[in-house]
Amino acid sequence: MRGIWTEKYRPSKFSELVGQDNSVKRVEALTNSMNIPHMLFAGPAGTGKSTLALIVVKELYKENWKENYLELNASDERGINVIREKVKNFARTKSLGNIPFKIIFLDEADALTPEAQQALRRTMENYSATCRFILSCNYSSKIIDPIQSRCAIFRFKLLEKKDIEKVILKIAEKENLAIKQDAVEILYEGCEGDCRRCINILQSTASISPSITSELVATIISNTKPRDIKVVLDYAISGDFQKAKEKLLDIMLKESISGQDVIKAIQKEIWNLPVEPVIKVKLTEKTGETEFRMTEGSDPFIQLQALLASFVLAGLGEE
Amino acid sequence: MTWTEKYRPKKFEEIKGQDEAIFKIRNFIKNFGKIKNALILYGPPGTGKTSLAYATADELNSEIFELNASDLRNKEKLRGILKPAVEQKSLKKENKIILVDEVDGISELEEGGLPELMGIINTTSYPIIITANDIWNRKFSSLRKKCELLQLKEINYNIIKSVISEISKKENLVINDNFITELSIKAKGDLRAAINDLQTLSKLKDYFSVILDERNKETDIFNSLRRIFKEKPTNDMINIFDSVNMPIDDIILWLEENIPAEYHGEELAKAYDLLSKTDIFKGRIYKQQYWRFLIYENIFLSYGIASAKKNPKTGFTSYKKPSRILQIWLNNQKTVHKKSICEKYAQYVHVGQKRAMNEFPVIKQIIKSNPEIQKELKLKEEEIEFLKI
Repeated sequence: MRGIWTEKYRPSKFSELVGQDNSVKRVEALTNSMNIPHMLFAGPAGTGKSTLALIVVKELYKENWKENYLELNASDERGINVIREKVKNFARTKSLGNIPFKIIFLDEADALTPEAQQALRRTMENYSATCRFILSCNYSSKIIDPIQSRCAIFRFKLLEKKDIEKVILKIAEKENLAIKQDAVEILYEGCEGDCRRCINILQSTASISPSITSELVATIISNTKPRDIKVVLDYAISGDFQKAKEKLLDIMLKESISGQDVIKAIQKEIWNLPVEPVIKVKLTEKTGETEFRMTEGSDPFIQLQALLASFVLAGLGEE
Repeated sequence: MTWTEKYRPKKFEEIKGQDEAIFKIRNFIKNFGKIKNALILYGPPGTGKTSLAYATADELNSEIFELNASDLRNKEKLRGILKPAVEQKSLKKENKIILVDEVDGISELEEGGLPELMGIINTTSYPIIITANDIWNRKFSSLRKKCELLQLKEINYNIIKSVISEISKKENLVINDNFITELSIKAKGDLRAAINDLQTLSKLKDYFSVILDERNKETDIFNSLRRIFKEKPTNDMINIFDSVNMPIDDIILWLEENIPAEYHGEELAKAYDLLSKTDIFKGRIYKQQYWRFLIYENIFLSYGIASAKKNPKTGFTSYKKPSRILQIWLNNQKTVHKKSICEKYAQYVHVGQKRAMNEFPVIKQIIKSNPEIQKELKLKEEEIEFLKI
């Protein structure tokens, strides 16, 4: 078992991509014309957006693709200025070979604020002579209209069961795995149409045993789910502060989830709590105050514990 | 409602200590359109800039149209919002005042806002009032030329004192005159801060009658915890930590660890609420290097937490040593590795680092038993060790 399978089995030709026939055909035609517009790939995670971008680049530039390709991830870069700076440096030199432009792939572009997207739009305009942008996003509605209007839009849908199955069986064959139909079902359900997640779960399972059973897959899936904030709130609401506190520390420390992410999850979870509407609003207000204090640099542990204590109160039916 | 809002002055007559400024504002309004179309009120926080703007609107019986810095950041948005406001007559009231609050909040990111604002100053048919803490940045040089400038000075402590006394009367606080004087001096001309402090302290029962007590003899943290958690609050408690030979930040950790051992339900919530407020003051000390806030930390932690319980408690409780810092340290060592592994992985398989962090449990399972992959990702010795934990 060599390599990371998501890379090893990443399609490298248009014909190998599964499940996105329409988009792939149109992108292939554009690529063959040796001139592509700015493009926006919209769709859920693990449906082939980055893969398609890579195929385009490799088709256009052949062995020189690395020199002509810049990959950025909007949610990892520290702000639009960093992105602009990187784009500037990359776009300054001319492309190698006979294609007159380079390609910039900006992943998770919907992580940018509308203001940052405005700045990005200007950057796209400034370098349109030497660069083409391929943007990817989960929701095209989060991309501002002016950018959408400058891009050709391609939608990606979740992979269907037959497509996922095709991928699984192909890998199983090459890696000499024994896999039963019911294990394929569980894999498909566990990955929810996300092909990358599917392959990752498959490889995780295979790292334990080459015979892939549905039980083994199910164990892997449940073991690898990030721990839930709901448990913490359940303890708090039921009045067990100590347990809630312990679980909270567990989540924050062992899983290294930041205070900000915890508070986001708490805010969403409030709506599922068995308490009166008035108390839900009160708790939301407290949560907002806690989040504010944390952005101001307060100690997230102390602030979150104070918040948990007010959930204990809410559980007692008091405000 | 915060007292700073509750007692915000509505009219010029109610604004204390800014007579000269009021005189100048009245002149600006009288001459509006002849010399300058906009007025910049600048000065330190809590000196009444925004209040003055609203009082101006009140005096002219006009509507106020407020723009904040984030509205200004965007040229198109600004044009959309402001142009109709400048050109049309207000529906309800005859007059209108445009308030651009905290103009120094404009970020460098979007260069559009400032020129657009200048354009509007040129064409406006309504007076514009701009507030700022610091207007001497170079980027404001042309804005300064277009506007009349009015500097607001820090508010004299006597005036702060009279305002604080008035509010305490209205709120029925029994409060010692020396204490008001001290609070007013320490506010350093920031009236808003003084009012905020008063409101915070008012939440603590009995604080204002507190007379500082003699220092206790040396005692240890266990004793102090016992007194705070078990006994009724007494005035000498506020100095209880003076005799504990331990930095206050450690004391916070001791309390954090042991509150749930003694308090439950409402008591627990109150105690943690005070702890979280202590933490806010701690942040303020660091940010402003203003060490007097330590007093509040001390009071909240001792008397405050003691006051959270309904009745005195009996029986023996064994208090635990704080464990959080050690846990954090241990886990940080791990997170460093987790981050660096995800960074390498993310680049290798063309995904975002945040997504890799989210999917780490699966990724870890794949990488940990596979030396080939570890080599491909160029993982370091300690990163591989980390995966085995």
